[in-house]
Amino acid sequence: MKIKKLKSIKIKFLFFFIFLFILTLYILFFFPSTKKIMAQSISLSLSPPLVEVVIKPNKSILIAYTISNYGDPVILNSKVLPFEPKNNLGQIKIKENFEGPIRFSLDNSNLKLNQSFFLKTNESQQLLLRIRVPEGVKEGDYYYTFIVENQALTNQTDKSASFAKASIGANILITVTETGKIEIKPKVVFFEVLPRFHLSLFGKKINFFDSNDPIPIVLIIENQGKNLIKAEGEIILKGNFGEKAKFNLIPQNILSESQRLIKATPSAEINCNNFLNYKACKSPISLLISGFFLGFYQLSTTVFFGENSLQLSAKTSFFAFPIKILIVLILILIISIFIIKKLLNKD
Amino acid sequence: MKKLTSKFLLIYFTLICFSFLKFVFAINMESPLFKIQYGEIGIAGGNKSSTNYNLYDTIGQTAAGQFNSSGYVVKAGFQYLHSIIPFRFSISNSNINFGTLIPNSPQTATTTLTVSFGAAGQYQVTAIEEGRLRTLDNSSSIPDTECDGGSNTCNENFAQPWTSNNAYGFGYNLSGDDIPLDFINSNYFRPFPNIQENENPVVIMSSTNVGKNRQATVTLKVNISPIQPAGRYQTIINFVATPSF
Repeated sequence: MKIKKLKSIKIKFLFFFIFLFILTLYILFFFPSTKKIMAQSISLSLSPPLVEVVIKPNKSILIAYTISNYGDPVILNSKVLPFEPKNNLGQIKIKENFEGPIRFSLDNSNLKLNQSFFLKTNESQQLLLRIRVPEGVKEGDYYYTFIVENQALTNQTDKSASFAKASIGANILITVTETGKIEIKPKVVFFEVLPRFHLSLFGKKINFFDSNDPIPIVLIIENQGKNLIKAEGEIILKGNFGEKAKFNLIPQNILSESQRLIKATPSAEINCNNFLNYKACKSPISLLISGFFLGFYQLSTTVFFGENSLQLSAKTSFFAFPIKILIVLILILIISIFIIKKLLNKD
Repeated sequence: MKKLTSKFLLIYFTLICFSFLKFVFAINMESPLFKIQYGEIGIAGGNKSSTNYNLYDTIGQTAAGQFNSSGYVVKAGFQYLHSIIPFRFSISNSNINFGTLIPNSPQTATTTLTVSFGAAGQYQVTAIEEGRLRTLDNSSSIPDTECDGGSNTCNENFAQPWTSNNAYGFGYNLSGDDIPLDFINSNYFRPFPNIQENENPVVIMSSTNVGKNRQATVTLKVNISPIQPAGRYQTIINFVATPSF
């Protein structure tokens, strides 16, 4: 009798356990009001990052862009907006609305600009951007950014939240010309070292460095013309013992009627966490030269803008002395004299 | 003599065969609808052509001949860079969840931005909010932070300390690579520029040096006052990554 009762209790307990297990599964996976809060990652790549076009009016070209998705599946759309240079560091300011005479469209049969499309993880889509310059467009430069952006999914949480929207862009530099001739009107507006100390003597600035200081150099070129130009050339350092070092300018575009800080290579690197007040850490520079410097040094730059173009040059100079070592030596000397004097007085 | 003739003929025919060979180095990109021959920067330089278009790569040819015949010259990529790393922008988490907001108890949430720009040279990432943090019915909003106020008042372009629990608003802090210098430590915050107030996006990451895999952590912070109406507050932050020119 007792065994039968025990068995029925066991069976009841087993049924209850199975019911509980199924209920848990149902709540976890099928309960209608259960909302998943997803941490969606976005990772997009766009290629090519830059396109330069020199084109006659009444012509059109086709550029094949590839957008790849390395994050979670996303809904994307593409658009083209004009931009202008923001400062002399190569940064841009994208305008909010489309403007300008250049016409853009997608040649894809199933896609248009500003039309959404879906991209799975690790999938790519080729976007065929048609650039058309209508007849009668004024000669000059027109700058645009081709942007691909995801659509932020704002209904994925019932909590307070911010939703990140990722946009990736590629710049398009268009020069419209009837003849193929490009206006080249450059000017070196700044070529200087950023000295640790300087002295003004007879209206001339004399720059000083400690012998162990890296030498920060800034070269800024202004493009006064109506078309973009590409600066090439070199910076040469000459010492008073005949030593010479050459640094090549990185060929970067200078947009029409703008300035650009031109980088040179190979440049030394400095850990700015340890040198927060160092001038090279406070403002952008073209080149940093490291080494042990002693005496008078001359720096010169030669810049040209394509084959058979005019050549610009500029010069600056600096002095370098082992100031820190001299201060230590003078201190040692003063202390030594003081100690010797004291000893002599005692005797 | 026969042997010599046969050797000569063998060499002759081999040379003829080689003269007909054409070496082509191209990378084909295909989709179900299109097939376009295209040169990757650093892999192939020179002319790519089809019946419809010609393409010049960044090897530095003179453009005059090409321009006169076709009416255009196209260069893709950066002349001084020979990298196969594409320009890539990642956001670790697009849903930056604050949970339940409690008055005088600041809530923070983070996301990480990563930029790979091997083939882009220089880059910038800008940020702008598409409106204030506001309820879905648009009845209430959380103001953008002014940080601790007084001498510690921050703005869209300058970070200041925000440590007081009685200073209310919504703002962000940055840490990591290529960030503005005014984010001295994790207590320094700025408000986002607001697109609805006609403000311009601000640069939150930028580098003038060639590099790759640059990472910055964005910490968003919200602190509400006791009189802030209850509700679900949301906004969209637009991060735009562009290479330089």
